[in-house]
Amino acid sequence: MSDLALRLARLGRALRAHGVGTTLRDELDAADALPLVDLADRDEVRRALRIALKVRRGDFETFDRLFAAVWEGGAEETAVAVPKREPPAVPRGRALQWDPEARRMGTEAGSPGDGENPGYSPEARLRRKPFEEAWTGRDLVAMERLLARLARRLATRRSRRLVPTRGRGRADVRASYRRALRTSGELVTLARRARVIEEPRIAFLLDTSGSMDTHSRFLLTFALSLRRAAPRAEVFAFNTELVHLTRVLAPGKVRLTLDRLAAAVPDWSGGTRIGACLARFHEEYLAAQPSGKTVVVVLSDGLDRGDPAALVEAVRRIQARARRLVWLNPLLGDARYQPAAAGMQAALPFVDHFASAHDLESLERLVPYLAG
Amino acid sequence: MKPEIQDLLARLESAGYIADPAIATAVFLAGTMRKPLLVEGDAGVGKTELAKVLARLQGTELIRLQCYEGLDVQTALYEWDYPRQLLRLRMGEGRGEDPREVEHRIFSREYLLERPLLRAITHADRSPVLLVDEIDRADDGFEAFLLEVLSDFQVTIPELGTIRAAHPPQVVLTSNRTRELGDALRRRCLYLYVEHPSLEKEIRIIRTRWPAAPERLAREVGRFLQVLRQRRLVKEPGVAETLDWTEALLTLRQGSLEPEVVTQTLGCLLKDRADLETMTPEEVASLVTSVREPS
Repeated sequence: MSDLALRLARLGRALRAHGVGTTLRDELDAADALPLVDLADRDEVRRALRIALKVRRGDFETFDRLFAAVWEGGAEETAVAVPKREPPAVPRGRALQWDPEARRMGTEAGSPGDGENPGYSPEARLRRKPFEEAWTGRDLVAMERLLARLARRLATRRSRRLVPTRGRGRADVRASYRRALRTSGELVTLARRARVIEEPRIAFLLDTSGSMDTHSRFLLTFALSLRRAAPRAEVFAFNTELVHLTRVLAPGKVRLTLDRLAAAVPDWSGGTRIGACLARFHEEYLAAQPSGKTVVVVLSDGLDRGDPAALVEAVRRIQARARRLVWLNPLLGDARYQPAAAGMQAALPFVDHFASAHDLESLERLVPYLAG
Repeated sequence: MKPEIQDLLARLESAGYIADPAIATAVFLAGTMRKPLLVEGDAGVGKTELAKVLARLQGTELIRLQCYEGLDVQTALYEWDYPRQLLRLRMGEGRGEDPREVEHRIFSREYLLERPLLRAITHADRSPVLLVDEIDRADDGFEAFLLEVLSDFQVTIPELGTIRAAHPPQVVLTSNRTRELGDALRRRCLYLYVEHPSLEKEIRIIRTRWPAAPERLAREVGRFLQVLRQRRLVKEPGVAETLDWTEALLTLRQGSLEPEVVTQTLGCLLKDRADLETMTPEEVASLVTSVREPS
């Protein structure tokens, strides 16, 4: 039995080392379960361990390999060579360099303003400052603050859930009766219920391909602030591959997160296969959502190297499943821009709201669309 | 294989549920260790059915709690029967009874409406099976509440005191993974992932459910489904779809798969327009040819 316990502990440690979250509690469950099964039957032991250790479907493969190596082979857990996903090397992409001093240009956010503009406020100026222009570190802090405020305004969706309210709302007959008991059965006041206000579900898809380089920093900042205000927002990045960023995005400081991001997103500033990435997003995330409640926001210039038909199909599916599909295109702020990219053009009929996202003001106009 | 598990497998089958060793092991462990069983898997693989057959096997009541967004404690646990309480109060007043006596009486079990969770822990004679269906659809708050009930099977009602389960229910929770469940809940349970059935298992399921189906048809339907699931589909057909389709084919008196009939009845299997569109008559014909047995 002590041999079993030792093997179990080893397996648990190996699983944790390979990112399969098992806890001591799970190991105790497994220790309870093992005496109940036929220990001579290899498959039965493996099945029982999967069940008691609560191994998720996605981790079955890793588990099976570790089971073979550690449980049966008696290998040291550290010696097991299960291919772990290598974190991609940090690319030296331009968009990810953080050097406010070097990139500082003649914007002087701190200078006491131009007298010609009576309505001048640093914030108003900030709002209209295109993203392609260089921003100073101080600008970014101010923008972050503004964005956080915008994001808070998003929390306006009303859920189906009813909660008691003192104000207006639907009469709650049962609660009214309950209250009437206190006044010996006289209905003095009516109890009411109203729909609770819920954080919106938003999924952000950020295009991190080369053509979006100059914008991605600001769009990321926007997504980050959103995540802080609406913890249920999910963030994905895509170029040639789709990466789920939500877990990487600690709602801490933007600067830190950007560095971590660089490590998580392969092929930063590379090419784009929007269609394939959106299709994967639909399949792996959106289709798995309980109902069509998610507002999907795609931040991309639509310059695609993939198959236009695939893009159209993916966009159609996403729109069918989402509460709303918003496509933000930073190039739209440029008067010379026509959505000429073939895929983009074809996908437009399936986009609920196609807008520009070249400065803060344009992002601000977006808020009502996100609130769902 | 442990004889008990072997036996359970056979009993499940005789009750009309074709299980595999993983399912039988999970049910056996959950029953013996007295832990809730969390069952995940695609829609239509028979998660809910498992709880039903379990209740049937043990000859006990199945209590079902269907989860949805907005599910609250009044619907899930208990509620006082206010209209009846009021009525009683008025009657008491009319008869000039002691108000305190009346109050004591209207807050007794007699005026308590038991909702599924409470019913599951107040069963007098034996442990029922409590099915908490689609727990992923309830909100996080409810999940936390459920965790509390599941951890010690007792409920405190302010007016009555604490009710403890004499026979703790056997709990089965199902999830389609529309939302990742909280870790705490998952850890509290044993975990079973139900896969789509293997070819052999699926044929046995068809034969068990529709004994009238010709053996050849059952085999061809099984193979067709296996091939179909390998395609990239928006919505993979589950066992429920297989059985519907088989019934349709039986109604049309088919003894074997015919391309035209398959095309006409494909709606039983594929429930997404895009999926249906990929199945052109030529495509169906070639699929049918690949799974058909020489006559």
